[in-house]
Amino acid sequence: MRSQRFLGYAYLTPYLIGLVIFTAIPFLTSLYLSFTSYDLMSSPQWTGLSNYERLFTRDRTFDKSLTVTLIYVFSTVPLKLAFALFIAAILNYKLKFINFFRTAFYVPSILGGSIAIAVLWRYLFSAEGLVNMAIGAVGFAPVDWFGDPTNALFTITLLRCWQFGSAMVIFLAALQSIDKSLYEAASIDGAGKVTTFFFVTLPLLTPVIFFNLVMQMVQAFQEFNGPYIITQGGPLKSTYLLPLYIYEEAFKKFNMGYASAIAWVLFAIIMILTIVAFWSSKKWVYYAGDKRS
Amino acid sequence: MADITMPKTAARNSDEAAAAKRARMDLVSAVVRYSLLFGVGFLMLYPLIWLVGASFKTNSEIFAGAGFLPESPTVEGYVQGWQTSTPYTFGRFFWNSFLIILPKVIGTAISCTMVAYAFARFEFPLKKILFGSVIAVLLLPNVVTRIPQYILFRDLGWLDSFLPLWVPSALAGDAFFVFMLVQFLRSLPTDMEEAARVDGANSLQTLIFIVVPMLGPALVSVCLFQFMWTMNDFLGPLIYISSVDKYPVSLALKLSIDTTEAFEWNRILAMSVLTITPALVVFFAAQRYFIEGISAGGRKG
Amino acid sequence: MAQVQLKNLEKVYNKTNKVVHGIDLDIKDGEFMVLVGPSGCAKSTTLRMVAGLEDITAGEVTIGGERVNDLSPSKRQIAMVFQNYALYPHMKVRGNLSFGLRIAGRPKAEIAAAVDKVAEILEIEPLLDRLPKQLSGGQAQRVALGRALIKNPGVFLFDEPLSNLDAKLRASMRVRITDLHRQLKAEGSSPTVIYVTHDQTEAMTMGDRICVMQAGHIMQVATPKELYNAPANLFVAGFIGTPEMNLVEGAMEGGEFIMGSQRLALGSDLAGRLSSQPGNAVLGIRPQQFSLVSEGPALQAKLVNAEFMGHEVYMHADCEGRRLVSVVGAAEFEARGQSDVIRLRPDPKTLHVFDKSDGRNVSLHGGSIAA
Repeated sequence: MRSQRFLGYAYLTPYLIGLVIFTAIPFLTSLYLSFTSYDLMSSPQWTGLSNYERLFTRDRTFDKSLTVTLIYVFSTVPLKLAFALFIAAILNYKLKFINFFRTAFYVPSILGGSIAIAVLWRYLFSAEGLVNMAIGAVGFAPVDWFGDPTNALFTITLLRCWQFGSAMVIFLAALQSIDKSLYEAASIDGAGKVTTFFFVTLPLLTPVIFFNLVMQMVQAFQEFNGPYIITQGGPLKSTYLLPLYIYEEAFKKFNMGYASAIAWVLFAIIMILTIVAFWSSKKWVYYAGDKRS
Repeated sequence: MADITMPKTAARNSDEAAAAKRARMDLVSAVVRYSLLFGVGFLMLYPLIWLVGASFKTNSEIFAGAGFLPESPTVEGYVQGWQTSTPYTFGRFFWNSFLIILPKVIGTAISCTMVAYAFARFEFPLKKILFGSVIAVLLLPNVVTRIPQYILFRDLGWLDSFLPLWVPSALAGDAFFVFMLVQFLRSLPTDMEEAARVDGANSLQTLIFIVVPMLGPALVSVCLFQFMWTMNDFLGPLIYISSVDKYPVSLALKLSIDTTEAFEWNRILAMSVLTITPALVVFFAAQRYFIEGISAGGRKG
Repeated sequence: MAQVQLKNLEKVYNKTNKVVHGIDLDIKDGEFMVLVGPSGCAKSTTLRMVAGLEDITAGEVTIGGERVNDLSPSKRQIAMVFQNYALYPHMKVRGNLSFGLRIAGRPKAEIAAAVDKVAEILEIEPLLDRLPKQLSGGQAQRVALGRALIKNPGVFLFDEPLSNLDAKLRASMRVRITDLHRQLKAEGSSPTVIYVTHDQTEAMTMGDRICVMQAGHIMQVATPKELYNAPANLFVAGFIGTPEMNLVEGAMEGGEFIMGSQRLALGSDLAGRLSSQPGNAVLGIRPQQFSLVSEGPALQAKLVNAEFMGHEVYMHADCEGRRLVSVVGAAEFEARGQSDVIRLRPDPKTLHVFDKSDGRNVSLHGGSIAA
């Protein structure tokens, strides 16, 4: 470790510049802007709390968007994590082809955020698309995916869950790093497979579950590509997630101030939930540490 | 020992029966697991398989059936799609993507290495707080900084250029990579660097000749991830690039759904296949680095 | 309390790799039996077959007279202490100790009483509310011991429990374990212990009887004293005892051992014990059985290195191209003079002769191999 006190700073320079210019200042600026009305032509007009007032009392679109976003996050994140954990548990065995499966399940995660997949999804769920064909083949009536508000959100949810591979790989690594002798001790203690899973495996996975939970939640709140390409936020704004609302207000209507206010509300929600998650983690996350077992 | 002529005792029979039963149960368990995995795997991958097959079908055939093999394969989708309905071919759009990705990846690699070197190998005042800021940026939703960043770039006159996409990453703006490299570097012993110091190397020489080679695998992971993410990046280009001649493939694809009312699906799907191909090729060539990089996060919890 | 019997026990991996070759072992009720041998001798595999953690390919294990091949570990009346303790990291010590009882659905009061009793015996009461990561190595091992003790099993299985501890701790834990065994025996519960280690010092100091294994075979089963004084073959002779027994190759002729240009008369006692006269023989001499002499029948050797151990000296000498190690008192060493030529006389009563072709000890009293 070098102790020339300021040499380290030399190497940090790019980061520090970037931090100030592209993170710190914009962060504060957006807070400032949320109290203004700004259309990029003239300079920002201070409007005080009126943006927030409008947001919370008169903006129907915001209500709808917020609701839809919350439903989306609280349904996709648990579903995706549960499925990832389930598949990881099944893969955690002396199976042949484990690498093949791991790769196969992981591929959707690398492609999933791309426009190409969003486009594909749009086809798959169209009226004569693959999904309806498959449904028809088993004897059910075709579903109107994009016309019916409840179904549209489901397609976006499904897209996100389809990308469970990245979370699964992390779970699998954690599962495989659990000391085998713990399972042996449990078997001598008389624990069956189910008991062992809930009392030994799961508690040891809590750090990774927590990590995935927070990361997935923060990402889910910022979902943009899917809804934008597949459903354009419709029908009837049933997939109009907050990031879309912010985008349209800022870059279509150029209401920079109002958009900043919405952005800050979204940010506040994410922060509060993240803090709640961290605080609650003390109760249910067991850090094994690296000393024993 | 005496396994040839020893008469079978009742105990031996019971042994074999138990072993056979165990083998049966193992078989059943294996069958269930494999079926589940293959089933899920098939469902997950079929859309992709179908996509590739469909790109070689005619437009009408796409809606005719769910099978993925085209009856009379044609490259019509590719040929027409490549032309696009703009004055440019898709080649132009790929080139633009390349122009965005290359500087961005290089900038990321260099700046994140420097920053990781600082955090992992130096002591300086406020180090803890500054590292905390890395974590904070990692968890920070970009949505709050996007609008002011746009305004900044507009004031700098960088709109409709690739600069807004290059510069933040060149200043180690992607906290995820900084974090990953710091963790990796911290796990490496300092012996060789100390030996270099005794040999008279200064910190920069040590960084370039000793640390960077050691960082090899992690750096490769960083570059691969940045490559993939940038290929998929949509919102960035959407906000900052307005001239069609500068569109990367992500925007170009969107354009193809926008412009045509009656979708020429085979063209769109063909171009979709092309846009995901580089990512897939890179992934399969360097799988090891991806999965290792992510798994490491899981192992250290 | 339960006796354990292994009958013709075999373990085969992947249908072709046989690692345990049909071993037979009778462990008496309440006995402290040590399985010892170098890495890879399959002692842990054997232990795990007794525990039920490895499938038995052929043969049988009985505990307390009952055949347990098909029983799950929890039903075999066993408890196990692992090398790396295997404590549940997310449970406090109290939870670790009581896990088995909680699963079995025992009443809370009973569990609490059992935990307190075990904590008292092992002196871990102040640790009950700590997590495993807050424990030192020795404390963790005591908790692991407690987890086994609380089950009140018929058989205790130890899988190299002291390997992860530093030397000093190992010594004190060794004593603690044997004291515990003695204490339980005095109280009447008399548990049988099967203890696996690669350290022959542990084996010799702890076991009632020791089973020496190599490559999946049993080399000898005997008390420590018998193993030391009457090793049945070359392997056991070289394995037990520190420093190792000198195993010198040569030829037998008449009543003499021929080593290069030197001949050593073996004495009538040894000659009478020989059950055969192998042409190719190996002479076994414990380093402690040499005396430094200035005249009389002895082996002449050139001193190469002397390690001063305090009140003893370990001498390393070259004799006819072979290395001999001998241990003599410091005073005796000082008295020998300046020359580096030394004369070593082994005590004929403690000499062993082995047949080189099969390693058998052909010089045992009564000519038989102690079982």
